[in-house]
Amino acid sequence: MKKLIEAESTEKIDFNNITIGIIMTESKTLTGGALLFEVLQEHGVQHVFGYPGGAIMPIYDALYDSDVKHFLCRHEQGAAFSAVGYARAAGTVGVCLATSGPGATNLITGLADALADSIPVVAITGQVPTAAMGSDAFQEIDIFGLSLACTKHSFQVTDINELEKVLHQAFEIALEGRHGPVLVDIPKDVQLAEVTQRLDKLSHLKNKVKLPLADISKALDLLTHAKQPILYVGGGVGMANAVEEVRDFAEKTGMPSVSTLKGLGAINPDNENYLGMLGMHGTKAANLAVQECDLLVVVGARFDDRVTGKLDEFAPNARIIHFDIDTAEINKRREADAAILGDLKGNLPLLSTELDIANWQEKLKQMSIDYAWRYDHPGDNIFAPAVLKTVSDLMPSNTCVTTDVGQHQMWSAQHMTFDDPSNFLTSGGMGTMGFGLPAAIGAQISRPHDTVIAVSGDGSIMMNVQELATIKRYQIPVKIVLIDNAKLGMVRQWQDLFFDGRLSETDLSDNPDFIMLATAFDIKSKLITQKSEVKAAVEEMLDHDGPYLLQVKIDAAENVWPLVPPNTANDKMMESV
Amino acid sequence: MNSMTLNKYQLIIMADDKQVVLERILQVTRYRGFLINGINAEVNTGNNVATITMSVSSERPISLLIDQINKLIDIKGVKVDNSEVQIKQHSA
Ligand SMILES: Cc1ncc(C[n+]2csc(CCOP(=O)(O)OP(=O)(O)O)c2C)c(N)n1
Ligand SMILES: [Mg+2]
Repeated sequence: MKKLIEAESTEKIDFNNITIGIIMTESKTLTGGALLFEVLQEHGVQHVFGYPGGAIMPIYDALYDSDVKHFLCRHEQGAAFSAVGYARAAGTVGVCLATSGPGATNLITGLADALADSIPVVAITGQVPTAAMGSDAFQEIDIFGLSLACTKHSFQVTDINELEKVLHQAFEIALEGRHGPVLVDIPKDVQLAEVTQRLDKLSHLKNKVKLPLADISKALDLLTHAKQPILYVGGGVGMANAVEEVRDFAEKTGMPSVSTLKGLGAINPDNENYLGMLGMHGTKAANLAVQECDLLVVVGARFDDRVTGKLDEFAPNARIIHFDIDTAEINKRREADAAILGDLKGNLPLLSTELDIANWQEKLKQMSIDYAWRYDHPGDNIFAPAVLKTVSDLMPSNTCVTTDVGQHQMWSAQHMTFDDPSNFLTSGGMGTMGFGLPAAIGAQISRPHDTVIAVSGDGSIMMNVQELATIKRYQIPVKIVLIDNAKLGMVRQWQDLFFDGRLSETDLSDNPDFIMLATAFDIKSKLITQKSEVKAAVEEMLDHDGPYLLQVKIDAAENVWPLVPPNTANDKMMESV
Repeated sequence: MNSMTLNKYQLIIMADDKQVVLERILQVTRYRGFLINGINAEVNTGNNVATITMSVSSERPISLLIDQINKLIDIKGVKVDNSEVQIKQHSA
């Protein structure tokens, strides 16, 4: 009856039963702090982001002798986001360090962001000495307790003999299955304690298990009977390193595709059946197509509420084939007709087959043309979508773009094109203002030869503005495009549309002089206010070797369109008038 | 919308016997929308396995909680004790 096809999947790994053989190395003794950097290097870590303080001083003392390069950020949140940007841009683990108490709590927003977007980060925090723990000591906070809700996993190491094992586990857990942040809290006495025995590094490699997945045959059946299928691409594709497989699948099946915010870049922007982003600020074509489709093939996506709009009315006629590495995502918000758990890279090709859907393709292609973006805009004032399109058109290939959160973020997602998910870093799940600048710093450090552009807003940039000092100190050549509407624009838009225009606390017309601010940090800058200035200014920015801030004044009343209002079906979108 | 009924479940959880494991389970259970009606935990026993039995209630399907508890790194396994009578999950 049912054909069983072997698909690759990962079984739950029991991290505590991983056998680690202990071998004696030469009788070199190491402090816990020195051991930390040796283990980091064994995991290929070259760069870390952090900020010192009392309870992490032994680690910073060991850093003094280490080949690992440390970037001193100017706030631990900046360090956490730089680690996130580093991880996302390079497809590796990002590492950040902070001291106990306020240093540790300052990391939390970054860890929450990494958890929501499944980013592999290892955060190391210093802790007061074990003897003082639990006594409300100076700068003591239960960061281990706080970490439970904002990390994939966390450790507190109270025995020096556990430290190395825990550090290896931290890296494995951050990267295993669905990626995520891991925190390791190390009391000061453990950082100072000495070890003489090292672990045999090779013996803790994990093994992948193959599981038979009967749903493949069901999925094939659904696929071949579908007349109007859509491929719904999420952030999991990039993280599964499956961009090529997804592109091949889209090509071979000819299936029209849509992308989430975090999936952008996965589908080749030249794919003629690609309809763009779906969801709250998605393209009209993408949203209408999904509402009409009879099959959704979901790859590394999770039916987020910003994607689905009113869940009960999302893709009402569609059967669902759901590919994910995380069992808990299957049936969480939408029941799957066929679920394929495990590694997308291996699993998706099992479904690849040619489909006879020419009418559907033609219909959607026409819709794409009918509802294409328009950049005509009255007057001389700058139109943000057109600026971002210009930046996108002029930036070198393999440019990495980060954004902050707000209207400028949505305009970036709509009007810029990316040739890989690692080239568009935005805070998706958490929507954290203050992400863009430090993430760009991390991205630039991991990819020194690529252009890195941070698209920020006049509200967001102030949330981690201190990181301009990090740019200054290390002369990090990040280009900042500051979309300045002198407003918390996205909130202002909602107040206008859904709160009777009662503009409560969204005016930023008393912002600092951003040009002076840039100058204070030795960053070259320019202010533009007219359409006619855009192209030359963008070229000048891109041609400049060092860091650059381009302040783009736009009309405060500009809105992001289309917009699916909250708790509304995606085909009932509001559009510009 | 379906009108939802509160369902009761008895869970048996096996975990690595780490001091923090109980906290992790409680946090996930509350966050995912399940009320804890009772709990019996044999933890910090000196052997490596902790056993926690927990009765919970929620309008949400129990599979949601099981999947999330299973995701915790320290968890070895979760099962629903079917000897407990389960009230119908959804009423249409
Ligand atoms: C840390 C944080 N606080 C508050 C918000 C809520 N919020 C979302 S968008 C936005 C306005 C952002 O303003 P700006 O950076 O100027 O971007 P714009 O919308 O004007 O382009 C706010 C306050 C958030 N996302 N993150
Ligand atoms: Mg603004």
